[in-house]
Formats: sequence, C-alpha cells, structure tokens
Amino acid sequence: MYRGKSITELREELDKGSITKEELFSHANTLAHSFQEDYNSFVTIIDKPKFKERESLVSGIPYALKDNFSTSGILTTGSSNILKDYIPVYDATVYKKLKNAGAVLVGKTVLDELAMGGTGTTGHTGVVKNPWDKTRMIGGSSAGSAAAVSLGIVPFSIGSDTGDSVRKPAAFGGVVGFKPTYGRISRYGLFAFASSLDHVALFTRNVKDAAIVTDIIKGQDPMDMVTLKDDGKKYADTLDEDIKGKKLFYIKEICSKEFYKDYLDEELESVLDQFQELVQKCRDLGFVVEEVSMDQKLLEAIYPTYMCISCAEATSNNANLTGIQFGPRGEGDSIEQIMFDARTKGFSELIKRRFILGSYILQKENQEKLFKNAGRVRRMIVDKITEFFKEYDGMILPASGGIAPEFTATSEKVEKLSPRYLILENHLAIGNFGGFPSITLPYGFVKDMPIGVNITGRIKEDDLVLNMAHKIESVTGLKDQYCKVGDIDV
Amino acid sequence: MYKVVIGLEVHCELTTKTKNFSSAPNEFSDYPNEHVATVDLGLPGILPVANKEACRKALLTAMALHCKTPDEVIFDRKNYFYADLPKGYQITQNTKPMGIDGYLDIMVDGHVKRVDIHDLHLEEDTASLEHFPKYSLIDYNRSGVPLIEIVTEPCLSSADEAVTFFEDLRDVFLFLGVSEAKSNYGQMRCDVNISLMEEGAKELGTKVEMKNINATQSIRAAIEYEIERQSELLSKGEKVIQETRRIGLDGKTYSMREKVDALDYKYFIEPNIPSTPITDDFIYELKQELPELKLDRYLKYIEEYKMSEYDAGVLSKERSISDYFEEVLSYDTDISLAVNFVTSTVLGTLNKLEITLEEFPITPKMLSGVIKLVHEGKISLDHARKILYQAIEEKKDPVELIEKQNLHQIDDESELLELITGIMEENKEIVRQYVEDGNMGAINFFIGQTMKKSNRQANPNKSKDIIIKELERRKK
Amino acid sequence: MIEKEKLKKYAGLLMFDMDEEEYTTLQEEFDTLLKQMDLIGQIDGIDGVEPMTFPFKNTDVSLREDEVGDYLTVGEVLANAKHQVSDQVKVPRVVEEGEE
Repeated sequence: MYRGKSITELREELDKGSITKEELFSHANTLAHSFQEDYNSFVTIIDKPKFKERESLVSGIPYALKDNFSTSGILTTGSSNILKDYIPVYDATVYKKLKNAGAVLVGKTVLDELAMGGTGTTGHTGVVKNPWDKTRMIGGSSAGSAAAVSLGIVPFSIGSDTGDSVRKPAAFGGVVGFKPTYGRISRYGLFAFASSLDHVALFTRNVKDAAIVTDIIKGQDPMDMVTLKDDGKKYADTLDEDIKGKKLFYIKEICSKEFYKDYLDEELESVLDQFQELVQKCRDLGFVVEEVSMDQKLLEAIYPTYMCISCAEATSNNANLTGIQFGPRGEGDSIEQIMFDARTKGFSELIKRRFILGSYILQKENQEKLFKNAGRVRRMIVDKITEFFKEYDGMILPASGGIAPEFTATSEKVEKLSPRYLILENHLAIGNFGGFPSITLPYGFVKDMPIGVNITGRIKEDDLVLNMAHKIESVTGLKDQYCKVGDIDV
Repeated sequence: MYKVVIGLEVHCELTTKTKNFSSAPNEFSDYPNEHVATVDLGLPGILPVANKEACRKALLTAMALHCKTPDEVIFDRKNYFYADLPKGYQITQNTKPMGIDGYLDIMVDGHVKRVDIHDLHLEEDTASLEHFPKYSLIDYNRSGVPLIEIVTEPCLSSADEAVTFFEDLRDVFLFLGVSEAKSNYGQMRCDVNISLMEEGAKELGTKVEMKNINATQSIRAAIEYEIERQSELLSKGEKVIQETRRIGLDGKTYSMREKVDALDYKYFIEPNIPSTPITDDFIYELKQELPELKLDRYLKYIEEYKMSEYDAGVLSKERSISDYFEEVLSYDTDISLAVNFVTSTVLGTLNKLEITLEEFPITPKMLSGVIKLVHEGKISLDHARKILYQAIEEKKDPVELIEKQNLHQIDDESELLELITGIMEENKEIVRQYVEDGNMGAINFFIGQTMKKSNRQANPNKSKDIIIKELERRKK
Repeated sequence: MIEKEKLKKYAGLLMFDMDEEEYTTLQEEFDTLLKQMDLIGQIDGIDGVEPMTFPFKNTDVSLREDEVGDYLTVGEVLANAKHQVSDQVKVPRVVEEGEE
C-alpha cells in the first residue's frame, strides 16, 4: 500500500519499519512505468536510484523533478529538442538539497518546452494527459510533475512557476501547488525562462507536505543573489496556529458573475458558486472575508504585461542554446550556419514565436511602449495588491475559470481579448509579478473534474499562507486527494 | 588641413582573484578551459553572482577619473550572438555605469589637456578564439573576467594625444592597483573612433571605427594612417564611409565591414543581480584609498618641492617609488637629499639587483634616519652611501649600523692617545711639517689615519682634540 | 500589421527560421498583443511610474566576496561539446567580415 500516501504517512511507515525505502522506490518506479504510456509524465524514469542514509522528514521518500532542473549525470532536456542529449555536469541547488535530505529521485518530468506554455502539450517527448480525463490537459508548464502527484506516483514533485506553471496544473490535477516568496528557494540550476518571474515551486497532496518540502529546500544560496536570508522558521510547525480574525479579500471584478455576461457558461457559474460556498466556510472557520474592487483595466493588463516581460526575458535567457558548447550541433560551414541550424531545428514554432515577440519588445524603438510600459503596469498591479495587504492577510480567488480544457480546445480559438480569458485565466501571475507566496488547493469538482482555489499572501509570510491554507483544506474534504485511475495499487 | 576628432574606448581587465560573475579564478593560464565555472560557460540554469572586489575597483577607478558615481550597483544585458559569447549576452552596465562625466588631465607638449570621459562601466570579457585555416577553437578561460570600459568624449585631436591618454590611463590603473594593464596579454586594449572635419565646421565628420588595438605604437600608426587616408579622400572631394576597419601588421588599416545599421543590443536590466545600494560610507572609504595620480604628483614635485622636471618625472612615474619617496619626506626629511638618495641609491640598487621596491630592505623610515644624520653633519654623504649599501647587503637597518659603530667607538682618552702617538711615530715627517712649516693639513691627515687604524671606531671629536694637543705639544 | 519580411529579419537575428504559416500566426499574435499594449498605454497615471524589474526591494543582497570557489574540470567544461580539439571547443573557422 503505497500509492497516494502522503509524506507524513510514508514517514511513519518508514520509521516504524513496516516498509523500506528500497520498497518505496520500487513501488514508485513501477507506478511511473505503468502510467507512462497513458499519461506521459516523465522524460526520464530512474531505474537505479542512489539511496542516502539521512535524518530528515523526506529521507527515503520518492519524488519527481521537472526536467528543467540541472541534475549532474542525468539527462536534462527542458523538454526541448535543442537539449535532447544534454547531460549536465552540475546539480541545481534544489536537487542537491533534496539529495542531501535523502529524498529519492524517481524521474525527470515532462514540461512545456523550456517551461514556456500552459498546456503540457509542447514537450519534445509528447503530450501530458490529465489523470482525471485523458481527453483533457493537465495544464503546464509543470505538466508531468502535476500528473505524477495527481496519479499518486510520488507524494511530492518539484516544478517551476513563472506565471502559474505550478498553481494552475495543480488546480487541473486536483492537488496542492505551492510557490513560496520570490527568493525563498534558490533558482540555481533551474533553466531560466523569465528570471524576474521564475520561482521554484512544488506539488503535494496536502498542505502539510507542502510545508515539509519547503522547509527542506528553502534558504539563502550564494549561487542565487536574489535568495532571501533564511527566516529560521519551520513552516510545518506553525500550520495549526489560530487564524481567527485573519482577513482575506477577493476581487469583485474576478469573482462576481455580473462581469461575465455572455461568457458565463455552466462551468464558470459552478466555479464561482462553489467559490462563494467556500468563502462562507472560511468565514465559519473564523476568517473575515471581504470583497474589494480593483480597476478592471489593470486586471485586464495582467496577461499582456506577463507576455511582454516573460517573452523579453526568455529570448535573452535562451540565447545560450546554440549547440556550440552543449546540445546537438547544427550543420553548416560557418559558425552562424551551425547556430542557425541548431536553433531552427531545436526549437518548436511556438517557442520561436515567443522569442520573436520578446526580441521585438526589447528593440530600442519599442522598449518604451512595450517593455517599459509592461514594467510600469507590473508595478501598478503589485502596488495595488500590496495596498490591499496592508489591511488583509491574504487574497483568495478561484485558480481558474473552469476545469482542465480538452485537447481539442487549443485549436478552437480562445477569444483572447475576452475579460474572462484575460483576467480569470491569468490572475495567478500577480503572484509572480510581486513575488508573493501563493498556494492552490483543490476545493471541489465541476463535471467530475477537480477545481482549485488560490490563496496569496504578503511577501515573506510563507508561513502564514501555509497556515491559512491548512485551515481551509480542513473544510474542503479534499485533503490527500489523488486520481485513482488505472486500478493499480502497489 | 582638417580638424581631427578622436574618441577612445579603452578596455582593461581588472586584477581580482575571481571572475566578475563566478568564483572561478581570474588568472592567466597557458592551459585552455582550466578556469571555467558553470556561469562562464553559459550552461542552462546558471546565475551570475557579482564580485564585490570588481565593483570596488571599478568604482575606485571611476572616482580617480573624477566621474560621478551611481547610488546603486546594477547591471544590464547586451544581447548578441557570437562564438565567443557563451550566454548569448554580455553582462555590462548601460543604465547606471560605475562612473559618468569624468575627466583625466594629461600632459602633451608641456601643456595640460583635459580629456573628458563619457562613462566608465564594468562588464565581463568574452571567451578567446584561436583561428586555424579550417576551424577556430574556443577557450573559455577568459570568459567572465572583469573588464572596465572607459569611453572618452570625441575630444582628442591627434595621435600624440590619443597615445598619451592611453598611456596615462594605464598609469592610472597601475597607480590604483586595479589592473596590471599589460597590453601584450590583451589586458588593456582599445577601440579608436576617428573622423575629420573642415576647420570651423559645426558637425562632426563621418566616423570610422578601429577595433581591438593593443599596443600604443599601433594606436599611433592607425591614427596617422587614417588621418592621411581620410584627408586624401576629402581633398579629392570623396566621401569617407562609415565603417569598421582593422589595423594590419603593416600599420595600414583595412576595411572590415560597412555599418549598414547599428546592431540593436536590446539592453535590459539584468534581473538576476538585485540592485545593491552604494552607501555614502563606502564612497567615503574609497575616497580615503584614492591615491594622488601621476600628473598631480609631477606638478606638485615641480611647483612645491622645486624639483627638476627630470627628477619629478622619475619620481612620479611609478606609484610604488613615488609613495616611497613621499613617505621618506613624511618624516620631515630634507627634500633635495631625499631626491638624491631615492633617485641614485634606491633606484640604482633596484636596477642593479633587479629587485622590486617590495624586496628592497631599506624602509622609507630607515632612509630618512640616515638622511637626517647627513643633514645634521653627523656623517658624510659618502659614508651614508657606504652604510646604505652595507645595510642592503646585510639586510640590516642602516641607522642601527651607524649606532653600532658609535657604540664600539673608542672614547677612552688614554687608548686614543696611545693610538695617535703610535701613528705620529710612524709619520714623523708629517709631524715635522706641522711643527716647523705650520702645515694645518696634517690635522686632517692624522684624523684620517686614526679613523683608518681604528676601523672608524675612534671618536672623531675626541681624536681631533688629542691630535691638535699632541701636535701643539711637539711645537714646544 | 507588421510585415512578414520584418518578422523574418527578426527571426534571422535570433538565429533561426520558421515555416511560412508560422509567420502568419505570429502576425496575428503581434496584432493582438500590440492592441492590448495600446490599451495599457492609456491606463491613468502610467507615465509617472518607474518600470519594475525586481518583484520587490530585496534588502538581503550582498555582493560576492572575491574568493575562489567551485569551478569545473576541463573534462566537465567539454563534456557536452560535440566537437573538440586539444581541450577546446571546435567550431568552423570564425571569419571576421572583410578578412580574406
């Protein structure tokens, strides 16, 4: 009996000797292989693990790592052809910390190519499917890490979150996704997408496990200048603090049905209704929850702002991918030709389009109107949310306006200028704009598919966000949820 | 005749233990790819970590060049693809350079010329390429080495001025101790922008750029060649093309590429290096460290110390020697004697023994002690030199050597009398000359002999008294 | 709408090319984004705002002390380079323009 068990449960069994870490790994490995064909969570499944004898809460616990974290000696592709044969020579700080804590790596998970995307469909080894419904996406970019936890293969996995890349797939997969404060966890060894927005984040199946994993991997790192001084706290120890009187707010322009008019379909209506039910439950718990209003123009600006900043930084961050010092070598007679060939063959079209957008945004004549204006709106949004945080301890919002989209939906044009798309599907990026700690947890179902709620708090108050989420988890009835598909148990 | 307008962009590698954004050694190596960290190779997932010492040295240089310094350290990315640039961008400073709007005064033809400096920024060097007939090889040892770039305003008007500026700038680096600035190692190199305009014209002429010149003689040759080439074109009524040219081994310049449109480097602030405030305290600290530069010292030596231009030149040329000299003076030492001793004894010994000032055993304090004794007439100039050479050889304090001699000094009058009467016995003829012919020179002769016989240990004053008394006594 | 030729030039500067229809998709994407950014430019008070680069003011930053730390072995430097000669990465001869 391993599948679907939490870190806490497995710890207990390991400690009392009813199971060994070798057995745990073997179960995880079996599950990883059995679900691989149907769901495609992994780029690489580890068959010969290295065990370390360590005293820590995650010692002996299997986990999965997104394939954009550098792992020495283990293929790391970023799910891109341009790195399809890249075997790093150094360890990402997160991987090193988990290794030193004795956690056991089960595999490297599929992502949207170079973490640029939110569908889980653009990795070079194929599409990742949603465990709850194979015709649907799990979302991305940390698709495989989300699926591996949702399927119960591993109790936790590591992802990265630049716009919502952990917190959105967590919602679609019915699991917990946590992105701590910017700088809380070192990004050294995480393949950069947009450096000022990139966060290391994680998936678990309950809030306590999220706190346990964060406690292991957080801390200042001399290799990442943006990392914060260690706050010396153990987040797992303060989850049961009293939250009575803690104040939450939600934004009217996101949560109120009246703003959607023609777009208000059955799905969205159910999401918003259940959200209000949850808000009521929060009040019953002792939270004060209030509605606030925010300039709709600012909210609609989130998506284009995110696009400008992330594409601009991405085009520069990925300029090292030329096939010269690593990666497949391009063909040609001149240095330009071999770079050109490697990049033309190595990147998928979607990535290339984003690079061109980003490069255009950075051009001298466009910087002011595009890149700098995006930076200005970013500040305006962050300032506004920070102002709310003077009065409130957290922001609570539905993580998405619906359930995981069907694969066919991508071809049907989503109306990108619609308020629903622009705001409801993109507001999680606020957490990246301001570096706020932000967590998504399951709170219900629509059409038998899980939906998630998001709680975002003040910077550096990761402990409070986890504490509040832990309380809310107790009234959702969905703690330790995983998708029991496949009729496999080991 | 056309007016020549030249601007320089000078690059100089800083001396630090580690690279600008990684902790790999910043050290010259004959072996390729030996000093490379993940960051210098641009591997996926790397993050730059800015070197405090490189920032400090860049700021110090900016201050020495009278630049305004920023309130925070931030870097920018300069994006372009090239084989020697593994990250696909260079981390440099565009938004807030370490210094802006400065100047350096140089001396050309006996006149002080102020060279305006547009900015000084801190960046990283590229990898180095070695070319073979069929392929090129990349060595990443140099990738990430801290580099400062100093951009002048287009305010230089001749090869002389450009070369003097370049050399004086090297002296600034050496005086500050921020770089060894060796051109032959490519540690200091320069891009030259040059244009010609009609005398009295308002607009600058078409600019030609010459890249990556290491040696001063090449700078001179390139500029002189370009002035000639461009003058000829203009006088024929032809146009100068805006382009980049390289200098050949023959000292001529050759066209590399026409500038169709300037490459857009798409600068933006490096998001992985958070802004670090530069505090007033830190600036104050750096100010304390800031040495007086060569030209200031040179002028001070001439104007305040009344030294000859030659001596002032010799003593201001190198920071270590100038510092040594000024420390000697700081003990209230006689200036002309100090000049004499430092230029002759000290520099002479350094040359002869081929050692540096650091290896030189006589401290400025010791030297000033010796000079003081000379100044007070206690020892002769000649004796002082001898003592100094002995001190250098034995690695001893010269003043102590002198004192030691004084300790062994024969003060006992009967002992001295015995010695002196002995000498007089041996030199009866000299005694006679004094007694009979009144030859006063005999006194000095006997003093010399006494010193010689006593290994310079006889108390000179007492000996003199005894000698005179003895000679007088023999008169009677 | 931005001309395809321009987009092709931009792609070239980024060292890659795309299929013809991708440029059409990209034109549309540009169109959408530029419209959205036009709206952003009209937001009240945007002009006086300092563009944000870092998510928040980080007061924990310190510059690195100048001490040698970990770095790679020559083998590690070259581990992923497909072509190498005498411990260096080999590429086609880099020709400076105008050089023969």
